[in-house]
Formats: sequence, structure tokens, C-alpha cells
Amino acid sequence: MSGPRNAQDRLRRLLVMLPWLMEVGQVPLADVARRYGMTESQVQKDLELVAMCGLPPFVDEMIDVFVDDGIVFVGIPRLFTRPLRLTAPEAFSLLASGRAAMELPGADPGGPLGRGLDKLAAALGEAGVATLPADTSRSDDTAGVVVDLARPALTDDLAEAAASGDELSIAYYSPARDEVNDRTIVPRHVFVESGNWYVLADDGRSGERRTFRIDRIESAAPTGRAMAVDETVAAPERFFVDADVPRALIQLAPDAQWVIEEYPTDEVRPLEAPVGWLEVRLPVSSDRWLAKLLIRLGASVRVVEPDDAGAAARVLVERVLANYGQT
Amino acid sequence: MVDRVERLTNLLALLLETVEPLSLTQIAGELEGQYPEADLARRAAFERDKAALREIGIPIETEVVNGGPYAGQTRYRIDRRSYELADLDLAPDEMRALQVAVAAVRTGSGLGQDAIWKLGGGIGDERPAVSAVVPDRPELPIIRSAVAARSPIEFSYRGARRRLDPWGLLLRGGFWYVIGHDHDRQGQRTFRVDRFDEGANGIDVGPPGSYERPPSFDPRAAFPADPKQIGHTTDEGIEAHIRISPIRAAAVEREVGSERVVARDEDGIVVTVPASNLPAFRSWVLGLLEHAVVLEPPEVRAHIVDWLTDASVEPMR
Repeated sequence: MSGPRNAQDRLRRLLVMLPWLMEVGQVPLADVARRYGMTESQVQKDLELVAMCGLPPFVDEMIDVFVDDGIVFVGIPRLFTRPLRLTAPEAFSLLASGRAAMELPGADPGGPLGRGLDKLAAALGEAGVATLPADTSRSDDTAGVVVDLARPALTDDLAEAAASGDELSIAYYSPARDEVNDRTIVPRHVFVESGNWYVLADDGRSGERRTFRIDRIESAAPTGRAMAVDETVAAPERFFVDADVPRALIQLAPDAQWVIEEYPTDEVRPLEAPVGWLEVRLPVSSDRWLAKLLIRLGASVRVVEPDDAGAAARVLVERVLANYGQT
Repeated sequence: MVDRVERLTNLLALLLETVEPLSLTQIAGELEGQYPEADLARRAAFERDKAALREIGIPIETEVVNGGPYAGQTRYRIDRRSYELADLDLAPDEMRALQVAVAAVRTGSGLGQDAIWKLGGGIGDERPAVSAVVPDRPELPIIRSAVAARSPIEFSYRGARRRLDPWGLLLRGGFWYVIGHDHDRQGQRTFRVDRFDEGANGIDVGPPGSYERPPSFDPRAAFPADPKQIGHTTDEGIEAHIRISPIRAAAVEREVGSERVVARDEDGIVVTVPASNLPAFRSWVLGLLEHAVVLEPPEVRAHIVDWLTDASVEPMR
């Protein structure tokens, strides 16, 4: 574990540590280190340093703290008894995390998280980071941050299975092959990223741990078997390895430009002609996905690269038109 | 020379304790031997310290003396009320719930943990079975503070300068949006925050208390029509019937709700969904490709056929 080592970070950490130490009075050094993600020697060094701080005539008694035999002792506090207020980025990060957690399966709006967030929102909407005329905050219980992680209905069942270790039999739709297959999985972790919900699961067919998109799971039923819960599983560090995904270069008419709001892009540049059009380079998860996008955009898109995207889309268009009795 | 942490701590203590604002000469006198003797070096060292304290969020106030023998001199202090965190009065279970929330949500910055520490919590060692990845961007705290303070913001977006009264931030579909009243367009507008041309540096924040937020404002409802939300709207108007093939039937039924299924047989299901917002409707139907066929009304069916016919001729060379 590594602690903060530049002067600024050390002071920042001390300013949160001191008020807590003053409150508890006496605590094992090891507990302090664990609590703040530092080594024991880092904590000891910084506490010994801060104990020497002070102003005449109060040098030595301003911050009355010492470490003896692995225990931190704190005397009568004089300074730094209250933590520093939240910075704007800290306030935002905590609010966003709390609001996102409220959107996860199993969250209870009337529970402790909901109540804690209400208190936080009240403080941050009023005086936490900004001074605000008293009357304008009344109608706002969000403190400016709303998180919407709308989830497919099966998400809750999968989260429950991940918590209990239940094996499930699922029907999974593969868009690349356009078919539904039955598989047996043991869900390990459920997560949401970039607007999509996924389950990380042990896949009975391949014997490997795979990630499945939950909105492509058509049905899920317990097999009656249960495996040991693996609590070490977390969401993959970086799920989208964008660099590995092929790119397309397309041109968008003004009415098609919602595309750049909805999907990740590498590059967006205005075209000289036609006026108002944009040229956009974007990652393409599959040929079928690109073809589908082109069809949805109709005459409002032109594809520059890859060369064969137009032909692939045309094949799909013919297939859809056949449904309408037009060929 | 003393350890920089020691000098920073002493400077902080001095500015918190002082009743009257202090000049640099007075500060250097109080912190004897900790700042360089030479004027320029002393000023440079003090400016670095001041910047360091401000960067960790310490509100150092400055005032310039008017008149008298020290006219023009700058003096410094810290107001304890704006330094100290207001007591949120969190119950132990509420504190713990926030801690678990921070453990279950990855934002990339780790600042949620710093906030937990300030509020008196520790490190959540629990590993929830469910987690979320929430993008963190430097623009967001600035905008959120502006919303809370009712300050207008100015930024450049796709090459144009925009003036906005921000009403709220919304995370949806993996992107952060700011919604508010656009002064130039004279109406409600939505902007994707990661598309601001100059990032956080390009945002100018106006004076607080400059506007009122509409009392009934809800960012979820204010968002432009989303094809995926189709079927959840209650507005009256055109209802279209669509046949969904068996392979996608279960997914579509989950999406629009069983009450919208009007027929069910071995060829799949027929659902009824609003088609008043034609572009959104079309986008949704075509997203299902050959697994969805519009049965009625005839004008909507014809629209889809025309759209596909045009698409197959013109755009894809």
C-alpha cells in the first residue's frame, strides 16, 4: 500500500486524520494506517512532524499528539478539530457515487443510503461548497446530480445469483450470429458501464469467465445447483478496449447528429459541403451493428470507410424489405 | 530549512487563528526562520504555499488595504466558518451506506474516498456483488457547483459560445449531460458534457443567485425523446402494431411491457407502441432489423418502406 508523499497530499491527509484522532483520543497506529491507506511509518512520521507545529506562544501544545509503543495518543485539541469542508470535486464524486448506488439492484430509497444522501444534498445544495441565497434551494433535493442507470428486468435475478452462487440456465441472444443459444452460467459479478448492464460469469460451455450483456439474456432459471461465492470478483478494470475495435468513417446530415451524442467517437469534424454535415470516425463493435446504424439513418448518412459497409447494409435492407413484400 | 509540511501547517494554523488579516511581512515574522529572508524569494515561497493550500480546498481570503501607511498592501486570513465542514449529522448506518456506495461505484478519481474520510468514515472493505462505472470529468464539479449556487455558465460547444442557466446534471447511457435554459436559443437545451470544446478551462461561471430553477424540473423527464424509452410514454396519438419474430419476442416484451402485447402465436408476438414521434419510432423498429415488421397503420408502414428504399439507393455508394 502506498500513501500520499508530496507535501500537499500529506497535509491533505493529515487534515482529515487529525479531527478523527481527536475524536477517538487513542488508537493503535496499525488501525490508523489501515483506515487511511498508508503505511505505519508514514503515519508515524507525519504525526510526529505535525506535533512540532504551532505558533508562539503555543508551540508544542497546538497539536498535542504522540505515538508510543504502536499506539497514537491525542491530547486536548486546540486546532484542526473539524475536517476541512468538501472540495467541489469531492462533493461531486460522493454525490455521483451515492446516486449511482441508489440505482443498483436492491437499493432502498427509504434506507440509510437514501437518508444519508438527503442530508448530503441538503448540505451541498446550501452551504457545502457555495453560498446560496436561502430561498432558491428549497425545490431541489438532487443537489444538481441525477443518475439514471435503467436496467433490464433480469438484472436483479442475476445480482441475487451472484450473491448466492446459484447456477443459472440462460437463453442468450448473440447479435453477431443472430441466434439464441442455451447456456449454463454461474454469475459472479453484475456491473453497469457506459449505459449497458453486464454479468461476469463462469460459462459452462467454454469453462471460462465471460462477460454477457444482460439485455441479450432472454430468460434465466436456476438449475438448482449452487457454487461457492467468489467475493474477490470485481468489475474488469477497463472493460472497453476501444483500440482493438475496428473503426468506421461516416458523414452525418444535421438530423442524424444524435449519433455523436449517443455513441463514443474518436473524431468529429465539420464538412465544407454539404453545409451542416459532420464527418465522424467511431468504433464499431460488429459489422451488423454498423449496418443497423446505417439503416436507421437512411439518407442522412454516407459511409466513407470501410468500403464494404454499404454492401452489408444493403443485404440487410433487402431482407427487411422482403418482410414488407417488397424486393 | 523546515519540512514543507511543517511550514504549510504553521501557515494554515496562523491564518486560521488570526483575528485580523495579516500581511506577508507579519506572516514571515510570526513564522520566524521558516521563510527566506530575501524579499523576492520570500514572496515566491509564500505564493507557492498559498497555491498549495488553495489547491487542497482551503479558502484563503485576501484583502487590499485602503489608505493609511500600508495602502495597497495585501493581507491574508482564513475564515473558520468557510474552512470547516458543516456537520451533516450522519447516523452510523448512513455513514456506512455512503461508504459502501463509494466502494460499489468506480469513478476513476478516488475523490469519493477523500470525501468519506472528511465525513469521518473509513475505507469500505466490502466487495459488493454489483457495481457501477461512472465517468468522472473535470467539468462536472464546476457545473454542479454552478447548479447549486444558481450561477449561469458560459462555454463553447461545437464552435459556438453558449450561455446557459444550468438546472441539473444527468448521467444516462454512460454520458453526462447538463440541462438548462439556453439564453441564446431562448429555451431548454441539453448538452453532452464531454463535448465541451475547451473542457473545464473553457467554462466561465457567473454570479450566484442569478436565476430560479423551475420548481417542477426533473432531468429525467426533460431529456430529449429516447428511442429506448418508447412504450413508456403515455401521450395519446398514433399507435402502431408491430410483429416481432420469436427470436426477439421475449426481449421486446420485457422492454415495452406485457400489457402492450396484443397477439401471441408461433410466429412471435404483436405489440402496440406509440408512433407519434416518428423518428424515434423508426429508429427503434429498424434497430430490430428483420425481426420487426410494422403491420399498421398503413401510413407508418409506408413510411418505413420508403425510408428503407431510399436508404438502399442513395447513401451507400
